[in-house]
Amino acid sequence: MITFSVISLSILLILGVVMYLRFSASARQEMISSTQKLMEQTGENLEDYLVSMRRVSDSVYYNVIKGRDFSSQDQEIQRGMNLLYEANRDNLRSIAVYNNFGSLVAAEPVVLQKEDPNITQQGWYQQAMSEMENMHFSTPHIQNLFDDAAFRYYWVISLSRVVELTKQGSTQLGVLLVDMDYSSIERMMKQINTSNSGQYFYLCDGDGKIIYHTRQIQISNGIAEENSLQAAAYKDGVYDEVFHGERRKVIVNTISYTGWKLVGVIPYSAFTYGMFNIRYFSVIFLLLMAMMLVFVNRVVSVRISSPILKLSHSILEYEAGKTPEIYIGGSEEIRYLGLSVQSSYEQIDKLMKKIVLEQNERRKSELDALQSQINPHFLYNALDSIIWMVESKRNDDAAFMISELAKFFRVSLSKGRTVISIRDELQHAKSYMNIQKIRYKNSFSVVFEIDPAVYGCCTVKLILQPILENAINYGMVDLDGCGEIKVVGKQENGKVILSVIDNGMGMPEEEASLLLTDDSRIPKRGSGVGMLNVNKRIQVLFGKEYGLIVKSELDEGTEVSICIPAVPYTEENRKILEKGSAFTREGMTEKEI
Amino acid sequence: MKNHKKMFVLTETVLAFAIILLVFTMFWEKNGKSPYRISVVIQDSDDNQWSALKYGLKMAAEDQEMELFIVNTGGPLTPEEEKKLLEYEIENGADGVIVQPAPGNDTEKVLEDIKKKVPVMLVESAASQDKESSIFPVTEPDNYGMGAALAEELLKDYSGNVDGKTFGILTEYADVEALSSRKKGFLDVVEQQGAEICWSVSEPLSDNRKDFLETLAKVDFVIALDDNSLQTAGKYTAANDLHGALVYGIGNSTEAVYYLDTDRVRCLVAPDEFQMGYQSFTEMAESLGHLFCSVQGQVVSHTVLRKETLFLEENQEILFTMSQ
Repeated sequence: MITFSVISLSILLILGVVMYLRFSASARQEMISSTQKLMEQTGENLEDYLVSMRRVSDSVYYNVIKGRDFSSQDQEIQRGMNLLYEANRDNLRSIAVYNNFGSLVAAEPVVLQKEDPNITQQGWYQQAMSEMENMHFSTPHIQNLFDDAAFRYYWVISLSRVVELTKQGSTQLGVLLVDMDYSSIERMMKQINTSNSGQYFYLCDGDGKIIYHTRQIQISNGIAEENSLQAAAYKDGVYDEVFHGERRKVIVNTISYTGWKLVGVIPYSAFTYGMFNIRYFSVIFLLLMAMMLVFVNRVVSVRISSPILKLSHSILEYEAGKTPEIYIGGSEEIRYLGLSVQSSYEQIDKLMKKIVLEQNERRKSELDALQSQINPHFLYNALDSIIWMVESKRNDDAAFMISELAKFFRVSLSKGRTVISIRDELQHAKSYMNIQKIRYKNSFSVVFEIDPAVYGCCTVKLILQPILENAINYGMVDLDGCGEIKVVGKQENGKVILSVIDNGMGMPEEEASLLLTDDSRIPKRGSGVGMLNVNKRIQVLFGKEYGLIVKSELDEGTEVSICIPAVPYTEENRKILEKGSAFTREGMTEKEI
Repeated sequence: MKNHKKMFVLTETVLAFAIILLVFTMFWEKNGKSPYRISVVIQDSDDNQWSALKYGLKMAAEDQEMELFIVNTGGPLTPEEEKKLLEYEIENGADGVIVQPAPGNDTEKVLEDIKKKVPVMLVESAASQDKESSIFPVTEPDNYGMGAALAEELLKDYSGNVDGKTFGILTEYADVEALSSRKKGFLDVVEQQGAEICWSVSEPLSDNRKDFLETLAKVDFVIALDDNSLQTAGKYTAANDLHGALVYGIGNSTEAVYYLDTDRVRCLVAPDEFQMGYQSFTEMAESLGHLFCSVQGQVVSHTVLRKETLFLEENQEILFTMSQ
């Protein structure tokens, strides 16, 4: 995603820069073209203005002066000059005719001439006299001809030419002066100098002398400078130049007849000035595109990653033991992945259930197998005793024993149940002990101290009998009639403790500890099933925390305690336990015992 | 995932912030860019003598791309009136003021309050006679030098011999530092040559005081050290009310030039008023544009004009600026 973003941004950036450069080049070209057009238009206006001034000069000369005698027709001449002056007074300052001595012959408007204006020394006069065949445009200057009582000095451009004057029939040379008001040209130039971007236009003559410039006085005062000499040397066209370290475009347009140059200057900063907003827009556009790109990236990545994350989350929950539905959504691939995972988990579930079922079956089979080991063993002992009684003609005892054996087997069978009540188990133990007492000729006594609360609890059947058998075989046999076996039943902390305590020979601690662990021991007496069998059965049904506890002290006796949970004996609990499921107290129903 | 979300929100926020910033900057540069405003207070602002100064101010304002406002005063001002006008201008948003100090001995004191608010640049003259201790920067011509130059021109006309010649001196105000300097510059030169100063008038001479000059003793030369005095002297000469006295003076109006052009004034020393306006505004503008740049005073040049040299190309620019 980062690579995608970087590539996209790079393309965007390149696109933006290329677009900007292209646009700026086109805008620059457009600016130059429009400046050229503007200059052409202004040049034409200036030419029109100058042509109109020349026409005024021509009209004064050819229509008013030429062919008229100043000595006799001065009134007509004055009238003609007046008409032309009035017709062009917006652009004219004055029209004057001087003879070859520099004396004023006629002037319009009629004003007082200065005392000694020294006409022949003035530039326009000398220019006209130096090249008689041409009309001459001067550069702007202060008019120094007439006395203006209003204290005004006018800035004019003089158009002068040599004319022939007739006075009293004789012809002499003179100079016709048309002083154009500088403000007309100034106005035209000001109209195009409105840009505040740094672009400006100025007017200079063919020698580079400035006629109009927006900073004319600053230039003449040395505050500013202009490359007008160079511009005057240029032909019409567009030029690149560097002036005082500033790169600029210079556009030159020559004004016909006068040789004046209309110069347009566009500093390169003016191009960027116009494009400043475009720069901003470009950057804003790029940023907006970047924002959109980030957003789209986010949407796309969320669209892709969200189903994966949901799937991962549901798998994690599954692994944590919860059983949520596996998320199936998103693109086809993710959906397929979800379906695969779901299918796998379903398979695992099925397999797990199968394994548990098989395990339970196996446990049940094991339990049944262990239980079935008892019956032949005991039956052999009991029948052995009965045989012995019958042979010794002890019929009552034999009958009692058979009766007890019947009870014993009734409980043993218990309709095929594995779990019975403690009451039945105790009955079973009592029957067994009665049988054994007869067999051992009452050589030991048996005491049952049972807390009535434990009678109604569940137990695995036939767990007391092997312990009692061991107590007899290992504890009572060698005691010469003073042996005692006590069976104690009590309830402690939710557990039922059934203890078989004998006062027999006891055993060392090491041997006692081996009773429940060493499977390879070969019993000296008994069936060989013994306590290991009982312990396993309890643990198979109730779990590893339950079972037998053996305490024995040499020459003192042995105490074997059965520890099982105090589970009320109900039909429901019995079925649950017999089903072979691992024992949990929560699953059992409570019932007052 | 949370980190990615944070990163996303952060990136979008930064980009959005950048866009908002750019948009604001763009609009601010387009619309809200407010140029500095500099107000100018000069005595009798409509008077012709200020044409060149105002043109210089205008050109500088265009070059500096700042706003110029020339207060219309319509006549002479007292220091208090000037202060009121300046305070009004500051209230109206002037970022700096260019002032021609009003005549008076306590003008500097009055203007001190203004300087605390905005930068102040004086033109034409210092605000107190003790120019060295003045706290205000001044853009002015070399007033002493102009007085001396005028005297030297006069001496040139008489080959340096004015011994026994009598002089009358006209100034509009006695308590204007520039005029005092001009007078001192003039006197320092002519008094060494044995000239005698018959009278010295320091007051505005309006038309209704026409007879006042006639009552003064006849002198060989009338020296007018400011534009208004020179105009008055030129007017009286035209009417031959100065009993043939020759007028030499300092001035900066087309009227003064006219009197020179028409031989009523023998010599005119003209301060470069365009330069004064341009430099004072530029200096003020630069100080406003730069935080650590203070306003500095400037000295502008002056030109000696004679009738013979009046229309020379190099002098025509002076007339051009005076005619604006």
